[in-house]
Amino acid sequence: MFFAAAFDLPSAPASAGIAWPDVALSFFAIVLEGAPFLLLGAIVSGLVDVFLPANTIKNWLPKSKTQGIFAALGAGLIFPLCECGAMPIVQRLIRKGVPPAVATTYMLAAPALNPLAMFSTYLAFRNQDPWLMIVLRFGFSLAVLIFLGFWLIKLRPDQMLRAETITGSPRPAQELSPNPGLVLTPRPGLSLGGLQQFTGAVIRDFTGVLLFLVIGAAAAALFSTGFNRNLLAPIGHDPFLGPLAGILLAQLLCLCSTTDAFIIAAFVPFSIPAKIAFLVAGPLIDLKLYWLYRSAFQPRFVHGLWIRALAATFLLTLLYSMHP
Amino acid sequence: MIGRQFSFFAPALVMSAWATVMLHTIASGHINRLLSPMFRSYVLGAAILLMVLSALYLFLYEPSAETPKPALAPTGRLRQLGRWMMLLIPVIAASVLSPAAFSSSTLEKRGLDAAPASYQMPTWSTTGQTDAKAVVDSDPNQLAPVEVTDLITISKSPSLIKGFDGRKVHVVGLFNNSSGNLKLYRMIMWCCAADAQPMSIALTGNTTGDWKNEQWLEIVGTARFPSTLGHVVPQVEVESIKATQEPDEPFLSP
Repeated sequence: MFFAAAFDLPSAPASAGIAWPDVALSFFAIVLEGAPFLLLGAIVSGLVDVFLPANTIKNWLPKSKTQGIFAALGAGLIFPLCECGAMPIVQRLIRKGVPPAVATTYMLAAPALNPLAMFSTYLAFRNQDPWLMIVLRFGFSLAVLIFLGFWLIKLRPDQMLRAETITGSPRPAQELSPNPGLVLTPRPGLSLGGLQQFTGAVIRDFTGVLLFLVIGAAAAALFSTGFNRNLLAPIGHDPFLGPLAGILLAQLLCLCSTTDAFIIAAFVPFSIPAKIAFLVAGPLIDLKLYWLYRSAFQPRFVHGLWIRALAATFLLTLLYSMHP
Repeated sequence: MIGRQFSFFAPALVMSAWATVMLHTIASGHINRLLSPMFRSYVLGAAILLMVLSALYLFLYEPSAETPKPALAPTGRLRQLGRWMMLLIPVIAASVLSPAAFSSSTLEKRGLDAAPASYQMPTWSTTGQTDAKAVVDSDPNQLAPVEVTDLITISKSPSLIKGFDGRKVHVVGLFNNSSGNLKLYRMIMWCCAADAQPMSIALTGNTTGDWKNEQWLEIVGTARFPSTLGHVVPQVEVESIKATQEPDEPFLSP
């Protein structure tokens, strides 16, 4: 009943069904917003491919996996990346020899611990105890990331990654990517090896992840347009259901970590724990990111990541919600 | 042979199609309905880069001489065609089908008819409050040009209400009557239209006319801030009302 009402299925008023032109408007806006960042990520990935030898990267990394996780968390703070731009870079880093657990922790930390996200949280909540919101957002995000990092270092690369991500060469049988058969044959007689390598890397990375952005944007547009967010208002202040409502809203709205605070700050019916749950869960995974992660990782791993990230967020915010 | 040629040209075709869609969206002004100003220049940059990449691809690479696979094999021509089409068709279709404004159905779900206490005026910077104060401090004998958001900001401050209640205002916005309550609203956009949120004021007085939902209206009237169930509801007592063109910036950025 709740589900039907939330999505305006037949039991809801007929006048309020999903408006498909509005879905098209949202979809178009999301892909136009994400594509430039994805292209930027692919370009950085191409530069890493051409100019950063694998040995150099390995020399920079701590030898211990645990230290690597904390280095990745620190890198997430120092080198902020948006969710869309991170995907091609992380895949390239893995191919260059960065341990998948470390690269994945960085991928999750970059948007979640992003200083810009914290600054926007301050601005959005500056009339509602901004420092408390920053401390809670940063602290809970860090705790969830450490928990995920220690889970990640227990996994073998083949348990996490698609075969293509490990080898860098297309493995058609498992491909959803549009370019499994994209065989780049350099034109003979051109002495432009570096440019060819760079261009090939950018095109392969951009078109490979773009398909997942399109699928993720379609899912995000459908749910963000069709879901009646006001239905979550009555449970937003409940100590148990409030955090769940915050997490659910974050999964459906698929916002960037630098702007999500403004949306939720204006949503008065949510309690602080519900708002924090929204701000912690959203940058880690949502409907759009689920599909973007599928471009590099195995579905089973992504499902595991999704469950753990949301469960940890829920537990922390529930504990905060219950505190006297 | 044709399949091999298609496989070769597909990446260039997709990248140049995306670039064309981006450039057309910018040139037609439709981008103002999709992205906040900060992101528009990124789209222009991406469009140019995609064009350059398409040209570089055609210049640097040539069709491969690999042996053809069965059409429905994972790397077969038909499968590849389908995957490339998934990159082409949705974005082209969305560029053609996306409307100028969200429908009443979506506005309701985003809180157009929510109780006044359900949403606060979103804050990005102190500019909103500064603008509202400037409006309040303007000459009281002159018609005050205001945005819907100025009136909402004023409604949150008793001192600003005291200084502005009863002032004659000129305001432009979108009309909505889907719940039986006459409203003038603007959409607030942070990044893109997908996150846009309606903010509305009530309309009373002389609103006669065949106004349709999501129609742009220009209104002159008196600003009022009555209190309902403990919440101040900004409203305009309409004296004159007429249809107008969509402004250059249909969405407001906070």
